[in-house]
Amino acid sequence: MNRRWRYLPQYLAIAPFFVLFAIFGVYPVVYSLWLSFQRWNGVSEMKFVGLENFRFLLTDSVFWESIGNTLVIWVMSTIPMLVLSVLVALGLNSSVRHKGFLRVAYFLPNVTSIVAMSLVFGSFFSNEFGVLNWFLGLLGVDPVQWLTDPWAIRIAISVMIIWRWTGYNAIILLAGLQALPQDVYEAAKLDGAGPVQTFFRVTLPLLRPVLLFSVVMSAIGGLQIFTESQILLGDRGGPEGAGMTMVLYFYNTAFADNDFGYGAAIAWGIFVVVVLFSILNWRLVQRPDGGGK
Amino acid sequence: MTLTRRRFLTGAAALGATALGATACTSPTTANPGRTTLWYSTNGLSEKVLGEAVQRFPAQKLTPNKVSGELNRRLLAALSGEAYLPDITMLGDGISTYFSATDRFADLNALGARQDESRYLPWKWQAGRSPGGFQLGFPIDTGPAALYYRHDLFAEAGLPSEPGAVAAALSTWDDYFEFAKRVKDKLPGRYLITDTKMVFTYSLAQEEQKYLDRENRYLADQSQVRRAWDRAVTAFRMGLTAGYAGAATGEGVDRRAAWTSGKEAAFVNASWITGNLKQSAPGTSGRWKVCQAPGGPGNQGGSFLAITRYCPDPQGAYEVVKWLMSPENQAASYLELGLFPSSPAVYSDPEVLAAEEFFGGQATIEVFGEIAEEVRPVYFSPWDITISDTYTDELANVESAGKDPDQAWQDARTAVERLLRRQGVLA
Repeated sequence: MNRRWRYLPQYLAIAPFFVLFAIFGVYPVVYSLWLSFQRWNGVSEMKFVGLENFRFLLTDSVFWESIGNTLVIWVMSTIPMLVLSVLVALGLNSSVRHKGFLRVAYFLPNVTSIVAMSLVFGSFFSNEFGVLNWFLGLLGVDPVQWLTDPWAIRIAISVMIIWRWTGYNAIILLAGLQALPQDVYEAAKLDGAGPVQTFFRVTLPLLRPVLLFSVVMSAIGGLQIFTESQILLGDRGGPEGAGMTMVLYFYNTAFADNDFGYGAAIAWGIFVVVVLFSILNWRLVQRPDGGGK
Repeated sequence: MTLTRRRFLTGAAALGATALGATACTSPTTANPGRTTLWYSTNGLSEKVLGEAVQRFPAQKLTPNKVSGELNRRLLAALSGEAYLPDITMLGDGISTYFSATDRFADLNALGARQDESRYLPWKWQAGRSPGGFQLGFPIDTGPAALYYRHDLFAEAGLPSEPGAVAAALSTWDDYFEFAKRVKDKLPGRYLITDTKMVFTYSLAQEEQKYLDRENRYLADQSQVRRAWDRAVTAFRMGLTAGYAGAATGEGVDRRAAWTSGKEAAFVNASWITGNLKQSAPGTSGRWKVCQAPGGPGNQGGSFLAITRYCPDPQGAYEVVKWLMSPENQAASYLELGLFPSSPAVYSDPEVLAAEEFFGGQATIEVFGEIAEEVRPVYFSPWDITISDTYTDELANVESAGKDPDQAWQDARTAVERLLRRQGVLA
């Protein structure tokens, strides 16, 4: 038998993945690149416009603002989320009762439907009749315009992300904590280190790889923030476009305004941002003292 | 034959390839070949009437298909793939998007629509026709805009409260603002204006022209837009807006609560809000009335039925469409779903003229019908929704983020012109 044909069954066996990947992965990517050079409303003839969509993109203030919003919301959600996760993980790692139940409870927000969650949060943050402002009123604090004030909007979205991801990261950090060698702790104890010192000098440095993993994962999630904004504020991101994230802008342009050519150009703009971010992440992990590979 | 691993793998791969090949070659052009598929959106057509149509037209084998989510999005996908298309489809007020692709649809005039034209509102019929005279859409419902108000609260403020008297006192937007101020002074915490978007949208809906002409040219004179803008800003400056702009307006929790609590004592809206109002504020039943909106008659929203070119029996499909939209069935759809009829004959139908308990015994169709007949034809371009959103976004910035109105106007104008330049409308 010909050498080439001998491996045919093996090639055929791995083919389904590649065939499906070509149809649902490669083809749309290539098509979207081609689309980004066209003007197309989804039904008329396409018109080739060269680099015009990209030229427009570079001077499009909404696009730049959406990058800014995405990064701001990412930072505003990731930092408190990580602090909270570490605290929750430490709590779960100490000897508390009902450990199994607590772990499941903390993980639950992560598997809840985002749409259902956003609707609930919509009532929670509602300007005048929301639970939160009612509660603030009890404390004698003036109501906050959660869904109309630009910064309050970003806080509201960040709170939703924090709520969703704290438990998830706590479970990952917990696994990291449980894998830490006990002898280091014993040595610290012998040297007379208190619990706070032990935490900052021993636990955190040893947890660094796991924390980096959490940061990378939340960066992946953070660059794709979409549903929270869309359900809470609608397709256009609310007042001053404060909740307009990159992906929401892309979605709104392509699927609400039927501007598929420009939508594709935005998608490629997002791609560039993601590439830059990946390089940044990679550099971070590659640092010689970082314990990475 | 024993099943070896190699045979199994070969067989599985061959099966997979055949399955892929088969689906690729046989995707049908219409969703259900041999049947007449009709796409409609949730509450866009009466299911009772559709059920009767299925019985009534056995030859067409009508298959109504409710499209959840965005019908338009699914239609665009089916059109670009030329597969799984409907024979008959509903289209919204963005119908002009399809005027550039009339080759994908059937011209209703070729199917006898000219004989039926006279039974429908002329401006609505015209809105379904392309600039080139291609009759793409058959009218379903319309959205005449009226003033909804709490007559009990108006009376409490010592102001006119009967529809005729209210309409007479509020013929212009300026009258309305003055009136709103008086209500607010007498009854603090009550508002007659939802937000600046309400004023802008319905003020512009009363104009003869919006942003573009029927040839999709940007109008040199945009003074009607500026007029609507200035009115919206005036309402805000006078402190008359209820102050929950932006957050998915209309659907918001705040607005529903404001209806129930009486904080929103009046508002201008198209007729399709009635169902929402009744559902959100059942406790206020009997206290609402409607009358002519300040500023004159206007329309906001409404939909059409169109027949695609891929339908093998367009004449049969047209008979179905014509029957579905007959005055009798429009009356039934109005009573069931509140779809406001596009056929004026319905407005005098005794069945729809029954007293409505929610509106204190008023037959609201009298008011809406009168408005609908006075609406002037206006062209709704493919970009109108985006352009309006751009203006109302900037108004929301003024209202809730304290942006300078002049700056907001400049920014909106720039954004609109940039959009139209990208779309090739402006050079």
